[in-house]
Parts: sequence; C-alpha cells; structure tokens
Amino acid sequence: MKDNFVDVEQRVKRYWFKDGIGELAGGGLFVMLGLFFAGNEWLPSNSLARTLLDSSLILVLISGMFITRWLINLLKTHLTYPRTGYVEYFPSKKNTPSRRTLTAVIAMSVSISMILFGRVTGSFNWISGFTGLAVGVILIMTQAQSGGRKFYILGVFTIVLGLTLSFSGLSEVYSLGLFYGLTGVAAMLSGGLTLARYLRENPMPVEESNER
Amino acid sequence: MSDELRAVTNLDRLIHEPARLLIATILSSVASADFLFLQRETGLTKGNLSAHLSKLEEAGYVQIEKTFKGKLPLTICKLTSVGKSALKAYRQQLQSFMEKTS
Repeated sequence: MKDNFVDVEQRVKRYWFKDGIGELAGGGLFVMLGLFFAGNEWLPSNSLARTLLDSSLILVLISGMFITRWLINLLKTHLTYPRTGYVEYFPSKKNTPSRRTLTAVIAMSVSISMILFGRVTGSFNWISGFTGLAVGVILIMTQAQSGGRKFYILGVFTIVLGLTLSFSGLSEVYSLGLFYGLTGVAAMLSGGLTLARYLRENPMPVEESNER
Repeated sequence: MSDELRAVTNLDRLIHEPARLLIATILSSVASADFLFLQRETGLTKGNLSAHLSKLEEAGYVQIEKTFKGKLPLTICKLTSVGKSALKAYRQQLQSFMEKTS
C-alpha cells in the first residue's frame, strides 16, 4: 500500500516533464548561450558589436531565464493545461534566501577557482569539459526526478560532448559555443519529439472538459 | 473483537473509499490541481469525480475554487490542512494495521 501511495505521488510529480516543453525552452536558452559565445569568437575584437556582446553576458543570462520561464508558462497554458489539466506544485523547500545566498557563494567560489586554475595551468580548454560534467550530472539527477530515460541519455551526451571539445584543440570560447549550441539543439530535439508525441496522444478535448 | 479488527473499523471511511483515497493522495503531493487533471489521473467520469469531490469538500478535506488561468477556466482543488491530517492519520492507521497482521 505504501508503494502505491509513493507511485501515485511520483507520477504526479513527473507530470511536469510529460510534454517536453521544459526541455524545448531550456534547449532554446542553451542555443542562445551558444550563439553568444559564437558571436564572441566571430566578431572582430575591436568592433562595437563585440564590446556590446562582451558586456551583455549577465543580461543574456537573466533575460534568457525570464524568457524561458515566460515561454514555458505560455506553452503550458495553451497546450498542456487544456489537454491534460493544470497542476501547481509546492514551492521548493530548497528555494530559501539562505539557500540562494549559499548557491551564489558556491558559484562565485567555483568561478574564481576556475579562473585561478586556468591562469596557473595556462589553459582554459578544460572549461567545456567541466561544464559538460556539471550539466551532465544535473541532467542525470533530473532523470531520477522525471523518470524519463531521455535525461540520462542527454546527460551522458553532454558529458561526452564537453570532454570531446576539451581535447579537440579548438579555442575555449569556440568550444563553449559549440557545447552550448549542440546541447541546446539536442535538448530541443528531445523536447520537440516529446511534445509531438504528447500532442498526438492527447488531442484537445472537444467538449468543455473542465467543468464540475 | 481483536485490536487489529478494531483498528480497521476505526479507519476514516470518507478517505478509505478507493476513489477518494486516490484523489486525496494526488492532491497531497501538489499545491493544487484542476478537475481535468484529477479526472485523467483517477480515470473517473465527470459525474463520479464531482460526487466524490463534493463529499470531500463537505467534510472540509478539500477546497474547491473556480478561477481562470489566462482565458482558460479552471476548477482548482486543494487538500486543506484538515484533509492533510486526515490522510496522514489514515496512512498511519493502515500501516500500523498492516504491521500487526503481517
């Protein structure tokens, strides 16, 4: 009986991942980051466009996260909720001010350590490998939460891609651009296929289905 | 009557009914869910689900609110604190019964 309770609870929690919209929007954010790094590599170093691009990473990240969130909400409102229903999850207990501060401190410490390590070794080529490992671990952890094997495959893909780019001999900025771009395309492809299957399996109800 | 049997008779019958137990379990794992989601997850007909929700609402276990998400009309259902306590007590009673009898 206990197992049945747990099964029901887990199935409800996995509902968020059912439509692939999260992957689609998250993949879009990664593609945007990929384009940012590609632009950094391709634009002439003294141009105005390059200067503007260099100073806009934080803006790209913050606006990208807001757009991603807005897009997920919009797509779910128009595609998912009318088909299979609306669910509001409990706010994460981990999302407390102290947790956020701790996360920011850890992120800053990791960034500073990475810069120092790069200066000591005289190379930043390992950054795409490190990023691949970090993103891969997050995706594999997501797999446990979502129950979908695709996150495990995506996680392994990002790890292999990151490590391959690290040893490819490409410049670190170009490697990072390729890493984010290809990971984003893979996530969008996975999300797109999931969404297509979801829409096929769950046609829009003809009658008014949400009335008691 | 043995203690084990007495434990069964003391179970909350409102929650013990399988459809209502499923509804309460679903609602306990989210902040809220709408009628359509509950209907799809439980496999109940509209009329059946509506009747079970009404019983849970009358007992104060579930709060039902009609609202909109954009232009989409929603019938939002939430497990109240009374409902959460009732479900928790039911699960504890059931677990204790299973431990004693197995």
